[in-house]
Amino acid sequence: MKKEKKSRNDPPNAISCRPPVLRDGWLDRIILITLCMALSIVSPSFADDSLSVSGRLDLRGVYALDDDSVKEDPSLIGRIKIDTPPSAWRFHSWLEGGWDGTVKRPPRDNSLFKNYDQVYQSNTPYLEFKELYIAYSPNDLDLRAGIQRFAWGRLDEYPPNDLLNPWDYTEFILKPLEDRKIGVPSVSAILSQGDWTPEAVWVPVFVPYRLPMPDERWAGTSPAATLARTIPNSEITPQEPAMPDRTFWNGNFGLRVKRSGDIEWAFNLFHGFDPRPEFKTTALTIMPQGQSIIIDPGYVPAFHRITSIGFDAAAVRGDLSIRAETAYSIGRYLDIRQELWGYPTVPSPGMFPLNPIEQKHDTLDYGVGMDYRLFEDALLTLQAQQTIIFGNVDQLYERKAETILWANVRVGFMNQKIETNLNVAYNPEHGDHMAKANAFYVFSDFWKAGVAADTFNGPPQSIFGRYSRNDQLEAEIVYSW
Amino acid sequence: MSGREIYEKVHEVRSKALDRKTEATMILFDKDGGKRTRTLTEYGKRADPEAYKVLVVFKSPPDLKNVGFLIHAHTFANRDLWAYFPEYKRVRRISTSSQDDSFFGSDFSYDDFGGPPNLDDYKFSILREDVIDDKPCYVVEVTPKIHRKYTRYIAWVAKGLWIHLKIDYYQENAIYRTGVFTDIRIIDSIPTPFKLDMENKKTNHRTVLTIESIQYHTHFPDDLFSERSLERSGR
Repeated sequence: MKKEKKSRNDPPNAISCRPPVLRDGWLDRIILITLCMALSIVSPSFADDSLSVSGRLDLRGVYALDDDSVKEDPSLIGRIKIDTPPSAWRFHSWLEGGWDGTVKRPPRDNSLFKNYDQVYQSNTPYLEFKELYIAYSPNDLDLRAGIQRFAWGRLDEYPPNDLLNPWDYTEFILKPLEDRKIGVPSVSAILSQGDWTPEAVWVPVFVPYRLPMPDERWAGTSPAATLARTIPNSEITPQEPAMPDRTFWNGNFGLRVKRSGDIEWAFNLFHGFDPRPEFKTTALTIMPQGQSIIIDPGYVPAFHRITSIGFDAAAVRGDLSIRAETAYSIGRYLDIRQELWGYPTVPSPGMFPLNPIEQKHDTLDYGVGMDYRLFEDALLTLQAQQTIIFGNVDQLYERKAETILWANVRVGFMNQKIETNLNVAYNPEHGDHMAKANAFYVFSDFWKAGVAADTFNGPPQSIFGRYSRNDQLEAEIVYSW
Repeated sequence: MSGREIYEKVHEVRSKALDRKTEATMILFDKDGGKRTRTLTEYGKRADPEAYKVLVVFKSPPDLKNVGFLIHAHTFANRDLWAYFPEYKRVRRISTSSQDDSFFGSDFSYDDFGGPPNLDDYKFSILREDVIDDKPCYVVEVTPKIHRKYTRYIAWVAKGLWIHLKIDYYQENAIYRTGVFTDIRIIDSIPTPFKLDMENKKTNHRTVLTIESIQYHTHFPDDLFSERSLERSGR
């Protein structure tokens, strides 16, 4: 997307598209993060009876194979984990931060940390507590309060019962599932009673999912991006949505009861805001401003409460480790096909009301996955999952049943000095697919380096096809301590 | 004395040693001289009505820190295995067909960290007597009746101590790997090798496991060997 740079005051809630410039506080932010990283590297890794400190520094570069795609700068991301020694009271911290190469916009404010008030947080450099909590564990009870991430369900991708943490979609599918999750301020309690383990979670503060800006590499195809391509010198200024009221009854609640045994199973109940992105329309605005055309795409992220009841199970049968999961979600909102949103076919300056695009449906998600050892140090993982959408789906892009088939092969060579991984996914309803392959060489206990290749293909609105311009090669160096 | 009777004594010593906490260092040596180091803590419990339970948690390197591995052996022949990878935040059940696989890149296997095997699953025959490090030994051929990675084992069992001093692991007629167990110390009347040297003859890769400290008769509570404990690195 080619744009002419301009100088103007940002309108409220709009995102500037100017190139990064050193503004008040920006330099301080760089200095502070650099200091954090330097301090963490020089601090020794240790785990004894006093404190456990460890971390990782990750330098990554991306070569975009599609000349017409949005490019990405190299990124440098660090993380530091701190744990107090085992005792009834424990403290755990996981701080992440650095320079995110996908982001090319200056931060909109001078806040150092990612916040819980915005969907579009294109600030870099940044700091974020992925986890920060205090745990109290007398006897069989485990109480935790603070910023937490949860891993409910069994499936490797899209576990339907894993709803407590919204995702950061700024690099969506490239990040491992757990790295996509945004830690949420929450209180949790786990009681271990023999084979039974009930767990309850309350998330009192609403935390929205995060989306990339429409002109960032991992925005995928969208009506706004498509429109912007047809208008020279245009800039997209998506509006931040109003956050839901942060009241007790607007919190998210989760209950999970797990039972161990030959077949392990768990019952899951979630009542709260659907963590999956969905939009509602306002009005498309195309407005000349100076030498640029400002586009308010006319849709904002929407948040709706759902109730989800689910079940998951795992067992070993012969050479197979099998897991399965299902969840019935009540009151989930989905957007209709983008061609029905009411975007003008010939854009011109003005304001264009858009059609209502939200539809309420109940959905049933289910899936099964299994591990099979091909040979020593080679593990094949297969997963099939499907979403059934109840009600009339004529206006949706999604079919009545949407399927994703996953396969992953992980092979280690030379006593795991070389680690390789191939991950492929296919959506038969729309014919879109994805493949990711990577290989790492472990130089030492601290250093490893690797290369990766990613390819996506399919129709523009499909789950993988929306990234069909994002085929890329990557190189990465990782230092752990 | 028959081969089976020798292994009944080995089984008895290994069973006595199940209640323990071990701090150990594993050094992995490449054939080119490169080395990687792993430190780990192993907790064991002789269980009832089960056979035993084992929890292994890595303390280093950074990539493996807090990775854990849990065994619940219902009998000496039947066990459940779980692994926990903090990166995924999920406990994963794993098939027992992996028990002979490399233990996190080392030349040890998952099975090496378990308890004694079910004697009924093996045939034993004494081949000869030998002396290793001035210790008289029985050399016993052990042949699995069940499907295992190794088709047979030749084991040097120290007379009187009833522990292994050396094992050759065979695939068909070729030695696949060799374990040599030295620095034998008697801890709480249990003979314990403090240095375990495992060499893969096919790749020339070698792993030396050194016990830094060991404590027997620990009688850990059952909840140390739970999935919850695995997720919390034994805390």
